[in-house]
Amino acid sequence: MIDDNDMTSAKDTPLDFAFVLASSVHDMKNSLGMLLNTLATMMEKSPPQDAEQTRTYAVLEYEAARINSELVQLLSLYRMQHEHLLVQIDEHHVIDVLEEQLARNDMLFRTRGIHLQLDCDEDLSWYFDGELIGGVINNILVNCARYCRSTLLVSAKIIDNKLCIAIADDGQGYPASMLAAPHEINAGVSFSSGSTNLGLLFAHRVAALHRSREQQGYIQLANQGPLGGGVFQLWLP
Amino acid sequence: MAEAEYHKLHALIVDDFDSFRVTVSNMLQDIGIQFIDSAVNGADALRHCKNKSYDLILCDHNLGKGKTGQQVLEDLRENGHLNRYALFVLISAESSKSIIMAAYDYEPDAYLTKPITTKALQQRLGRLFAQRARMLPIMQAMDDERWEIAEALCLREIKDSGRYANQCQKFLGQLYILTGHYEKAETVYRDVLDVRQLDWAQVGMARVKKLQGDLVSAQQWLEDVMSTNPLCMKAYDLQAEIYREQPLHKRLQDVLQQAVEISPLSILRQQQLGDIAMMNNDAETAANAYRRTVRLGENSYYDRLENHTGFARATLALFREDKILAKPLLREALKTMAELEQRFSKTPEEKVETQLIESQLLASNGEAKKAEELLQNARNLSANIEALPIDTEVELVRAYTATGQKNMADELTRSLLERYKGSERDLEKLDALLEEPASEKNRSLVASINKKGIACYESQDYDAAIQCFKDALQTFPNHIGIRLNLVQALVDKLKLDVDAASMDLAIDTLAQIDDKIVPTHDQYRRFRQLQDMLRNLDNNRRR
Repeated sequence: MIDDNDMTSAKDTPLDFAFVLASSVHDMKNSLGMLLNTLATMMEKSPPQDAEQTRTYAVLEYEAARINSELVQLLSLYRMQHEHLLVQIDEHHVIDVLEEQLARNDMLFRTRGIHLQLDCDEDLSWYFDGELIGGVINNILVNCARYCRSTLLVSAKIIDNKLCIAIADDGQGYPASMLAAPHEINAGVSFSSGSTNLGLLFAHRVAALHRSREQQGYIQLANQGPLGGGVFQLWLP
Repeated sequence: MAEAEYHKLHALIVDDFDSFRVTVSNMLQDIGIQFIDSAVNGADALRHCKNKSYDLILCDHNLGKGKTGQQVLEDLRENGHLNRYALFVLISAESSKSIIMAAYDYEPDAYLTKPITTKALQQRLGRLFAQRARMLPIMQAMDDERWEIAEALCLREIKDSGRYANQCQKFLGQLYILTGHYEKAETVYRDVLDVRQLDWAQVGMARVKKLQGDLVSAQQWLEDVMSTNPLCMKAYDLQAEIYREQPLHKRLQDVLQQAVEISPLSILRQQQLGDIAMMNNDAETAANAYRRTVRLGENSYYDRLENHTGFARATLALFREDKILAKPLLREALKTMAELEQRFSKTPEEKVETQLIESQLLASNGEAKKAEELLQNARNLSANIEALPIDTEVELVRAYTATGQKNMADELTRSLLERYKGSERDLEKLDALLEEPASEKNRSLVASINKKGIACYESQDYDAAIQCFKDALQTFPNHIGIRLNLVQALVDKLKLDVDAASMDLAIDTLAQIDDKIVPTHDQYRRFRQLQDMLRNLDNNRRR
């Protein structure tokens, strides 16, 4: 016998994109985790023999880290649009959040020979959505790993009653178009070059979701930073 | 925690992927943990925890078939197989926010997001254990009700304004509430709120105000939290608590409806919503809420027989009101009842009751023969039971009615009325079967609503009268008098101005009366008159 109800539900229900997205991301992250861990084991067992192997490992690490940060952003941006993503503001120790993102990318920095400096008071705490801000920092770190020469400086302090997290590098600095309007997605999107500028859009959106009293969070880009290259600043009230 | 101490810890890894378990196990060994067990699914994890006390559980949220990580945690906490001071870390691949919303009833100590690296895991566990070690004396003192010690420890941490000052302010607020020092608790929360609007401190203020008897301020605090942070489930729960105590049933239902919309995976809230909607005679909301409790209950510690029968009862109530709306739910309710056999062991009384409910579902679904057989089964079974509970007797009357045995239904109703004469509470339950209520409370209720409706009608405020009679029918669906009053108000409204919605409602209402009324009924003449008047109006409209 034909089941009327089930027939219509199979035919008429549109594909639940959120569900498809979430379950794919779940699988991808599982695989990515395996990939990263296998890579780490491999590098431990057979360390690079020459400069070329070092470069190969570095590429593998970098691309894996990029996939991860893109996935995180993708999900968050999707939710901002479709699920009215709301920030979950809580007290966090800033150093915990920074260290977690640095630890996450430890292998990446090592294979690229990047030296890290962290300047943050142990007890400094602030109020923000740890997961979203973690995602922003992760993204900027992965990006900087590509554009810096040898050193990254991550710092956090309170200035004018706002938390300022800064990530400075010793690279060539940000291009002029991005300095002017870091969050204008269209200005930076270039699918042919692979640069979507999505990371900065994401950072801008996340910062703006942080409000306290009359103030709102924001991001700033500058050149000639403390290490001579670019500096990304995230300001949270 | 000093690294030297990791070697003493017992850890359990729960994940359905072999490779993930091996990887995490290697990471824990790198950190220095030696005793590591692993489990492949929820049931396996529960078995492990029953046999051994762990210090650390790393559990994936998505465990394939069976329980989720969250449900494992709920089960462990409820059945007492989790050491109060153990760390439970929930791992997930997605952003944990949706899980956090679902996770409210029991919160894990931490969330980790995949992919996990050794260094990140090491840092995170190091921090968690350091915090646990520092907070342990306070938690233990609170558990043992050594309040002065707990208070002193909290105050010291707050004074040092170190890492855990914030956590200790939370503890201190709770402590003062538990010991009845409401003003001190208020000071703690105010100090926090002076610096920043934090939802836990706002909810804390609301709780203090409620305990001080200042419900207006409590409400104000809660509304503030909800407007700035609509995801703060604790605010909804406290508001529900206030409405339940007052009691304000309609508002209680509203706030629970908001809460389940935000956090639909909480089975306990769905259950509360089902209960209150049923009490408010909102069968549709009740049916949908109970239906979700059945689905969510599949692997949950909170699966209850009452959720399943609640779904069936609400579906039947909806069917009595609106067959079309109830139709899609009938089959699912039948399936739910069929599954009960495997999921619950039942007392003989419960068996009779579930069979009677199932019999009505079958009858409503057009399976008359099966319905009668099951009803007969239930009667045979009940022969061995001394006295059936009144709720079951009510279901028996309904099963007779549903299977077309009107005489049996009437006879049983009469004997029940005789048996429970003078017992107001039992009579209130029987009222649901009667055309006119038998209990004092409901008699006066019906009289007052009717009076109000008639007053509106006489002052020609037909809309108000219609609303009044409609509300009354929610509570007294069998009352032919009220139903006729509703039609009369509608007819007079239609005489002034014909609108389709009122016409449809009037036609439906008359059809429902037609199902029940017999020519010997003392309002039969009035019924026929209204029928004629409506037919004329309808004909004029069409012409």
